[in-house]
Amino acid sequence: MEAVEYFEVECPEKAGGEYYSRIADVVLLDHNLIRVIQKLHIFIDPRVPLFIATGITRKLPGTVKVRDFSDVNRKERKVTISIGDEAYLAPLLRILWEKFGKERVEQPDRFTIMLDIGDDESEGLEEIPVFDPSESIYKDLIYALQVIQPEGFKVRRQYYGNGRFYLVASEDTLPEDIEDMVREKFSLMGERL
Amino acid sequence: MILVPVTYKGGIYRHDEIIDLIEDLGGYIIQKHIIAQEVVLQALVPKEDIDLIRKVGKPLTGEITPSPLVGTEIAVVTMSLEIHHLPHASCDVAEYIRRFGAKTNMVGLARGFGKRIAQLNDEERDVINEHDLAVYLLGDFETCIEQKFPVLRRGIDVPIVLCGGPPVEALRAIIDPPVDGYVGGVGRFMHRTKEAEEISRLDDVVAEVTRVLDRKREEMAKDPLSISPARLMDIISEKIDDIHEVLSPTPITVQMTGLRVKLPYDAYASRLRATVVDEGVTIGDLAEVLPSRMRDYILVRIKPFSETNMMV
Repeated sequence: MEAVEYFEVECPEKAGGEYYSRIADVVLLDHNLIRVIQKLHIFIDPRVPLFIATGITRKLPGTVKVRDFSDVNRKERKVTISIGDEAYLAPLLRILWEKFGKERVEQPDRFTIMLDIGDDESEGLEEIPVFDPSESIYKDLIYALQVIQPEGFKVRRQYYGNGRFYLVASEDTLPEDIEDMVREKFSLMGERL
Repeated sequence: MILVPVTYKGGIYRHDEIIDLIEDLGGYIIQKHIIAQEVVLQALVPKEDIDLIRKVGKPLTGEITPSPLVGTEIAVVTMSLEIHHLPHASCDVAEYIRRFGAKTNMVGLARGFGKRIAQLNDEERDVINEHDLAVYLLGDFETCIEQKFPVLRRGIDVPIVLCGGPPVEALRAIIDPPVDGYVGGVGRFMHRTKEAEEISRLDDVVAEVTRVLDRKREEMAKDPLSISPARLMDIISEKIDDIHEVLSPTPITVQMTGLRVKLPYDAYASRLRATVVDEGVTIGDLAEVLPSRMRDYILVRIKPFSETNMMV
């Protein structure tokens, strides 16, 4: 966990806390998330029982737009999009179908999309946002935290956004002052929720 | 004649000679694996003939090693089959015990996770009780183990070896009444055991299992079984032809006090009971033939000498 600026596991049982810091390390490494996290504080109290994970993410890559992965050529009513990175093809097609209708979107091969649209419609085509990586990263992050948490903690609350995320979980109903506890854990890292 | 559990590893070429030799000496082949060009035999052989087998096997690049767990069936009880416990921890332990000759079955509890909500249902209880020993793999926290273990052991009457994250002394202190064996430092972990220190902890599990089973063997020696399970296995595979059609790796699984025969109970139980072992003695006289909770298999429990007054 050298890449992470702040990493702490807080637990009343010393041995258990050490095991969990290893578990967190391995899981985040396996899910390729170490680079994403800047600070992480995990609190486990098996007596309550309660699991709280709070953290800050690094600056995430921005939204991918059409011009980032393809070229757009206009020739009268024929607009040809040549795809460079196939990974974004599926979300792009979905957006185009919705916008222009399937009958005007033609795909002769894997790397080409042909549109039958006028100038006014093709304006700003390059700027269409196709994919937001931060959303999937947050989903992965919450999934990884669910893997780290002790199993059987079925009552959960999670939050992400604005560079911050947290997951609280327990076997029983969550305590009413859970938000205050989360805020307290953020302040331990020198941050605010 | 004392039979010792061993594993023989050697080339596939002329391995049938070794099998014939073991059988001629009065030993039993419990399991035979063929892996590419190699044969692995798990067998019970007479103690005084080990050197002879070693000598015969030497030109065939055969190696013979003691395997204390051959002829036992062990349940590895894991709290769930979720990603939290699989594949590491559960599979690593189950696989490692298997290397010492035991047949391990993994029992993943339906509701074993959690502290307050952990449960053990009747089917799981009965399946665990069909084994010679149960290895319980619990988590990293003392508080949780202390609270949930009494629920998970309810109704289990086979010896239990408890593995958990806290050190052995801590485990001993929180479990009441005590179980038969404890191994510390084997709790929940998410990585493969490949470092020397981690492997040595798996060795501890095997050592503890062996110790507990040795004690069980000693106790059984005071009132021995009416027939040895390995011999009964031989008789069944000789007299009931349909067992050779079964595709499981071990159609007949040898346990310390009996056998698991992987044939449907309804169709074969009465035939099995009537099978003649020796002049005038049938399997029904020497053993109970029961339906197993595992699929529709048959469980054969051999009665001790004190019940049957017969020794075959």
